[in-house]
Amino acid sequence: MPLNPPFLDLVFLLPYVRLGILLILLFYVIFALIIFRQVDLMSRTLIAPLSPVVKAISIIHAGFALGLIILVFVIL
Amino acid sequence: MFPSYLEQPQNCQFEGQDPDEKIILLLRPHFITNLSWIFSAVILAFLPLFLPKIASLLGQALPALPVNFTAAFLILNYLLVGVIVFEGFLGWYFNVNIVTNKRVIDIDFHSLLLKNVDLAPLQSIQEASGSVGGLMGVIFNFGDVFIQTAGSKVSMDFDKVPNPTRVADIILDLSHNLGGPNAP
Repeated sequence: MPLNPPFLDLVFLLPYVRLGILLILLFYVIFALIIFRQVDLMSRTLIAPLSPVVKAISIIHAGFALGLIILVFVIL
Repeated sequence: MFPSYLEQPQNCQFEGQDPDEKIILLLRPHFITNLSWIFSAVILAFLPLFLPKIASLLGQALPALPVNFTAAFLILNYLLVGVIVFEGFLGWYFNVNIVTNKRVIDIDFHSLLLKNVDLAPLQSIQEASGSVGGLMGVIFNFGDVFIQTAGSKVSMDFDKVPNPTRVADIILDLSHNLGGPNAP
């Protein structure tokens, strides 16, 4: 009976998938911090009624991205 | 809730606004121009629900991943949805065109890393014109406003703003009142 080569075996691939997901999340954290910086700049350029809300969302978003990388590290 | 055409807004200010400077118009692209990213986000949000059905229709089976990996992929998918929505909204909300009683300002954030602010005093405005084009533009009455100035930077444009002809008219009237090049 022919066997799948090892690189097609799901169990063999999963550690690499895990590493890939964690790397994507790490880049996402960096991206979230850039967004936070950009929103800060934007809300200083235009002071509109929604600016403080958007700034708060960007802070929560950056914290959420950090929390998510820890969560995924634990569950995978 | 998210207006794209505001005449004399009371609770808005911008960086570098003079104490005696008053905002006459605050403009953003028409809200309907956000439809492209809203559509992408909705498709992506519902994709995990329909992916098994699409795969079975194509005669393919999805690989049986462990539950924790499926959860991680779902998290990545909804992060992407979040990014599309947040970035789309930020790009729309903060890319504004402002007309004050002294000048015309075009604030552009081209990407996360590029901010561009064009300023032109009302006195230097030689010509302003509005154009409405395209099916959506005609239906929802939005288009571009082109402003010709006498300075070294010869033109400014407001993209996809509501009531472009009225905006051009207001800008020219303000310029005439301040004794611009076309003042009678």
